[in-house]
Amino acid sequence: MKTRILALFLILGLVLSLAACGGSTSTTAAAGGDQAATTAAPAGDTGEKVKLTFGIWDSYQKPGMEALAAAYTAKNPNVSIEVQVTGWDEYWTKLEAAASGGELPDIFWMHTNEFVKYASNNMLVDVTNLYDGATDAGYSNFPEGLVKNFTYDGKLYGVPKDWDTIGLAYNKEIFDQAGVKYPDDTWTWDTLVEAAKTIKEKTGIYGFAAPYDDQQGFLNTVYQAGGFTVADGKTGYNSDATKMGLAYYISLQKDYDFSPTQEQFADADAGTLFQSGQVAMQFLGSWNITPYMNNEDIKGKFDIAILPKATNPVSGEGRASIYNGLAYATSTKGKNQAAALEFLKFLGTKEANIIHGESGAAIPAFNGTSETWLTKFPELNLKAYTDMMDYGIQFPGSKTKSKWGPIEKQTIMEVYNGTLTVDEAVAKLETEVGAILATE
Amino acid sequence: MTSTHIAQVKRASRLSHDAGWGYLMVAPTILGLIILNIYPFFHSIYMSFSETMLFGNWEWVGLDNYRKMFSDPNMWRATGNTLYFVLLTVPLGIFLALAFASMLNSQIKGRDGLRAIYFLPMIVAPAAIAMVWKWLYNTEYGLINQFLGLFGADVKINWISNPKLALPAAAIVAIWSSIGYDIILLLAGLQAIPRSYYEAADIDGANFISKFFHITVPMVSPTMFFVLIMRLMAALKQFDLVYMMITDTNPAFQQSQTLMYMFYRESFQVGNKGYASALVLWTFVIILAFTAIQFVGQKKWVHYDQ
Repeated sequence: MKTRILALFLILGLVLSLAACGGSTSTTAAAGGDQAATTAAPAGDTGEKVKLTFGIWDSYQKPGMEALAAAYTAKNPNVSIEVQVTGWDEYWTKLEAAASGGELPDIFWMHTNEFVKYASNNMLVDVTNLYDGATDAGYSNFPEGLVKNFTYDGKLYGVPKDWDTIGLAYNKEIFDQAGVKYPDDTWTWDTLVEAAKTIKEKTGIYGFAAPYDDQQGFLNTVYQAGGFTVADGKTGYNSDATKMGLAYYISLQKDYDFSPTQEQFADADAGTLFQSGQVAMQFLGSWNITPYMNNEDIKGKFDIAILPKATNPVSGEGRASIYNGLAYATSTKGKNQAAALEFLKFLGTKEANIIHGESGAAIPAFNGTSETWLTKFPELNLKAYTDMMDYGIQFPGSKTKSKWGPIEKQTIMEVYNGTLTVDEAVAKLETEVGAILATE
Repeated sequence: MTSTHIAQVKRASRLSHDAGWGYLMVAPTILGLIILNIYPFFHSIYMSFSETMLFGNWEWVGLDNYRKMFSDPNMWRATGNTLYFVLLTVPLGIFLALAFASMLNSQIKGRDGLRAIYFLPMIVAPAAIAMVWKWLYNTEYGLINQFLGLFGADVKINWISNPKLALPAAAIVAIWSSIGYDIILLLAGLQAIPRSYYEAADIDGANFISKFFHITVPMVSPTMFFVLIMRLMAALKQFDLVYMMITDTNPAFQQSQTLMYMFYRESFQVGNKGYASALVLWTFVIILAFTAIQFVGQKKWVHYDQ
C-alpha cells in the first residue's frame, strides 16, 4: 500500500512538471522576469507593467539594441524590454515556427528575403499610419528604396531600421608589403585582377577572396555589367550582361591563383581568412565593420574603398553595389500589441536612429543620421559605403525566394564544381527560377 | 468448495486491482508515445500527400510529392549517399565494437579506466563533436594533417571538402562517437557467457580463433543483433554530423548530403513541408526494409538459447 501511494505521488509530480514546462508563454520567455506580463489587459493602462521581447539575429548589434531599449524604458518605466539573440542560421526557422504557433517576439527584425512571405500571410501589423499627426517623424525621413522594400500591396509593414552596402575591404599592410597602391575610385575589374596578381606574386599571400556569395559576391558584378537576376517577377539570368558579370566573378576564383579555392573556403570562410591576414582584399558588407573592429588581429590594418567598376559594361556606367535594409516589425498575433507599437514608433524617430548609429551597430536609416555611424570609426574610410548607396541595387528577393534561392545557389555551385558551364547554368536558372516566379 | 471459490474471486479481484495499478504506471509513457510518436507519424503520412503553404496551412495534392521525389536526382543522390554511409559505418563499427569489447572483457591492466574512456564520447553533445572534428580535419591547420606531415612531406588532404573523402571522414567521426554505446552493450552480452564453456573448450584443446567463432560469436549474437539494428537505423538517419561539417557551399556537398539533411533543408529552409514529409516516408520505408531483412535473417545466425 505504501509503495502504491508513493507511486501515485510520483506520477502526480511528473504530470505537474510536464504541465509547468509546457505552460505559460509569457513567463517562460523571460529570464528572471520579475515583472509579470499582462496577457489580457491592453498596455494602455497606466501603471500596468509590460514586458516586451525583442528578437534579433546579430549578437554584435545587441549592445545597440539594448541602448535603444534603455532609452525607451527610461521614458516609459512601466515597460521592460528583453533583447533575444538567435543566430542567423536558426532565426528564420525559429521565427516561422513561432509564427505558426502564435508566439512571435513582440518586436523583431525583418529582412527583405522573408518580408513578402510574412506580409502576405498577415503576420505583420500594418504600420502605414503609425506616424500620422507626428510633426518631426514619418516615413518621408527614410530613403524611398527602404520604405518600398517593406511595402506590400500599398501598405507598410515595417519601420526601416538601417541600410547596408557592399564595399571593397583591403589589408593595408599586405598592400605595402607588395608595393601596390591602395584601391581608389579609378579601379576597374582589370585593375583588381592586376593588383591581386601582383600581391600574390610579390608576397605569396592571396590577393582577393572570391568565395561563392550572392550579396557580397556575384550579384555586385552582375549589376555592374548591366544585367540583373530577378526583378519585378521576371528573371534576367540569360542575358549577355548577367553572364558577363557572373563569369567575371567566378573567374576570380577559378581562372587565377590569387584566390583561395572553394575547398579552402569550406575550411575557413573569407571573413576568417581576411581577418587573419591570409588574403589581401574582399568584398565586404558594412554590417561587418563593428565585428572586424572588435578583432585586434585586423583592427587598424584594413580600410574600405568603393567597389571597382566594370571595364566594359554591356549597359550602364559599370558601377553597382548591392544594398539591403532591415526593418522592425511586430506581429498581428502579439499579446502586447499596443505597447509594441509604441516602442516601434520610438524606433523610427530621429533620436532613436542617432542612438543606433552611435552604437556602431549599423548605418541608421533616418535621413541625415548616417553620419553618426561614420564617426564611430573615424580611422576608416566608411564614406565609401555611403558613396556606394548612390549606385545601390536592392538585394533581389520575392515571395518565393526561399524556394528559388537554394536553386540559384545549387546551380551556381555546380559551375564552381565544374559540372556546368556559365551558359548552361544561366539557361537552367532562367527555366527553373522562372517557373517558381510564375507561381507568385 | 465455497472457500476455494472465494479464494479464486479474491485472487481475480486482486489481479485486476494490480492490473489497474499497472495501467496507471504506464499511462504517462503511453500518453507520451501517442502524442509525440504515433500521432505525428500518421500526421506525416497525411502531410506527404499535401503541399504545405506557409505558416501551417496545407492542401491535398495526392501523389504529386512522390512523383516529384522519385524524379528528383538530388533525392536519388542523397539515398545513395545515405546507403554508402551505412556501408561505411555499420560493418566496421560493429567489428571494432566487438573487438574492443572482447579486449575490455579480458584481464588487462587499467581495464575499468579504459572502459570509462571508450564511453566518454557518448556524453559529449554531437554538435561539439562535429565542431572539434571539423577543426581536426582542417586542411591547413588541422591536427590530422599536421600529424601525417610529420612522416615526410607536407600533407594537405582535403578531408571534408574533397567529394570522395567527405563522407568517409564523417563516417570516422560517427564510428568514434558511438562506439562507446556499442561496446557497453556487447560487453554486457560477453559477460553473460558462462566461463564454463571456455573452460570446456580449453579442455578439448580449442585455440583462440575457434573459441571466438564457436563460443563467443553465437553466445553474443542476440546482443549483436540489437546493436546491428540500432547502428543501421542511426546510420540511415544520419544528419547532425554531416550538417555541421559539410555546408551547402562545400564542393563535397552533393556527394555528402544524406536523406535527413535533405529533409532538413526542404522542410526548414525551402519551406516545402509536404515534400519533406514524403522524404521522411521514403527514409522510413528504407529503414523498414533493412530491419525486415535483419529480422528474417536472424533465424540464420542469431543463437537464442532458452
